[in-house]
Amino acid sequence: MKKLVNSREFVLFLILVLVSVAISIKSPSFFSASTLFDIIRSSLVYCIMAFGVLMVLISGNVDISFVAIAAMTSYSTHMLLLKLAYTGGITLYFVIAISMGLLAGLLMGFIVIQFNLPIFYVSIGYWTLLYGFNLFFIGATMNFDLPEGMVGYYARFLVKVRNPVVGETGLHISVIYLVVIAVFIWWMLKYTIFGRGLYAIGGNREVAIRTGYNVKGITYTMLALVGILAAIAGVIQSGYSRFFNPVLFMGKELDVIAAVVIGGASITGGRGTVLGSVLGVMLIEVLNRGLIFAGIPAEWQKLVVGLVLIIFISIPAIAEQRAKRSRYVVVPKEDKEE
Amino acid sequence: MSKQSTFTENKRSHKFLSRFHIESRILLLLGAFIFIAAFFSIIEKHFLTPRSISSMAFQCPEIGLMALGMVITIIIGGINLSVNDTANLSALMAGLFLVKLVPFTADYMSPFIIIGIAILIALVTGLLCGVLNGVLVVYIGVPPILATLATLTLFRGISVVVTGGKTLTGFPEQLSAIGHQTAVGIPISFIILVAMGVLMYMIFKHTTFGFKARMLGTNPTAAKFSGINTKSITMKIYILSGILCAIAGIIVMSRNNSVAYEYGTQTYILLTLLISVLGGISPGFGNLIGVLFATFIMQMLSTGFHMLLLGVRGSSFFKDFSWGVLLIAFLIIDYFMQHKKRTV
Repeated sequence: MKKLVNSREFVLFLILVLVSVAISIKSPSFFSASTLFDIIRSSLVYCIMAFGVLMVLISGNVDISFVAIAAMTSYSTHMLLLKLAYTGGITLYFVIAISMGLLAGLLMGFIVIQFNLPIFYVSIGYWTLLYGFNLFFIGATMNFDLPEGMVGYYARFLVKVRNPVVGETGLHISVIYLVVIAVFIWWMLKYTIFGRGLYAIGGNREVAIRTGYNVKGITYTMLALVGILAAIAGVIQSGYSRFFNPVLFMGKELDVIAAVVIGGASITGGRGTVLGSVLGVMLIEVLNRGLIFAGIPAEWQKLVVGLVLIIFISIPAIAEQRAKRSRYVVVPKEDKEE
Repeated sequence: MSKQSTFTENKRSHKFLSRFHIESRILLLLGAFIFIAAFFSIIEKHFLTPRSISSMAFQCPEIGLMALGMVITIIIGGINLSVNDTANLSALMAGLFLVKLVPFTADYMSPFIIIGIAILIALVTGLLCGVLNGVLVVYIGVPPILATLATLTLFRGISVVVTGGKTLTGFPEQLSAIGHQTAVGIPISFIILVAMGVLMYMIFKHTTFGFKARMLGTNPTAAKFSGINTKSITMKIYILSGILCAIAGIIVMSRNNSVAYEYGTQTYILLTLLISVLGGISPGFGNLIGVLFATFIMQMLSTGFHMLLLGVRGSSFFKDFSWGVLLIAFLIIDYFMQHKKRTV
């Protein structure tokens, strides 16, 4: 019980509840099922991408190219299917985009492993390469022509709610994907050699190699999964917004990383959980939405989010510094003067 | 016998080369620079004209200065993701001063004094941004990538609040001199970029401060235990980074004659990172001149492909693709060069 209370996830959950209650007191209309569903719906794609970021962060690396993979896979899948005059549903989109994402991830893994390069450096190049590829070779404009099967996708709900202000909204079916993916990634991290290996590499790469973890295989798997998750997120987001954007998520990569870090993942590797990442993304989304409900003018929102971010990253840092200081033995005064 | 002599000869030539302190990365960058320039000037006859060269020289200073601000933090093992927003915020503060005050003071104050004050305001803003980054990193102990990620949002937030999200325009004419005038045929902003690049190169190569900063980058613990005041050095580097970004902001302001909080927010951070990696900068290592070359190469690719593909749909986006290819190619070439060194 004590372990639960002290855990980062619990603290985050408490903060999330506190923030929601505070906003609801200020503006009662915030406290409704439609708002909840809306928040889930808009944070869902970031959650899915956050799982990829989480794995990379756990392994002690930073990757920013996942947004570009999401944009490239979803947009080029759409343009391809449009050329083929496809009229079916979203399933084929997922199949093609996921295989593209897998290939993109494996290609990056090949570059990283074959030439022994840092993932961060390669991902910077990969980011601009993929967006450039999208814009130059595939197309530079947003595309609004949806195949028939995808037109109604944005309004396929599990549970429907009627809200006097917004009209009919509900819990989107894509929340099932989120749950499945979250459980899968949680299981991977907790119960497979791959997950154990990720934590080991993040903790100490050299030790992980000496212990016999297949670091190459783990890196390949990790980057392939990042590609797949990004592709899924890209297709879902495009399905929601009902258009395909060649620069989808551009500029959002740092936001996702920030959310995962707020969720307790360490930027230096070895630490991080699935639940924490979900809560981190949700917290940012609740803040973004809640500030509107709380009546804070739109132009102040970025400032408030920035301040909250600074507080959030400062508290654990201060706590860590305190812990470090108490770990050292206090040197007696006579010794110091020597 | 003959084997011996070639060996000594090799050694001699190696000594000869090492006297100039030419690093392999600089040679590589120089080679790429010459190759790309030659490639474009052969294929496109308008590439090597004074007009296109000066247009390139006008375009690259802002991103080059931001890249310098990024690079010096990478050398000490940190990172500064807030470069672009520091530049925007500094420019906005200066712009706000100009827009609000000029109508009242224009009668009894020379425009040069007003612009001087505006530039000072920008520099001070950049300095304060740097101080905030430094405090978060040094005294609170937040990892630099997170600290600057948070300040990025904060600075952008402040920029939105002070302007209400609007673009500021209507600055005195004299301000545009920095971004549009030339001195001895060379754009003033370009001179500023090169001067700052050389200054940073000198600082990191020939001063004890630079040496200590490099040491901090290679091994912070060792640096701390060898009596280096790591806190003060980190602080100074972040402040310096803020000031460099403020200079970039001033150039942006005077080149466009306007400032907005969203200028370059989508791509500039990653571009500066790209330039740093291309320039061969890693914690403790790297040559600041390489950063200048990397900036020029990026600008040449951008302008060159734009001219070459004129009329093709989405022609201005091929540069993004080519930058990515170039960076990954550089990393791979670097790997082979390092690998060779290790095996020999």
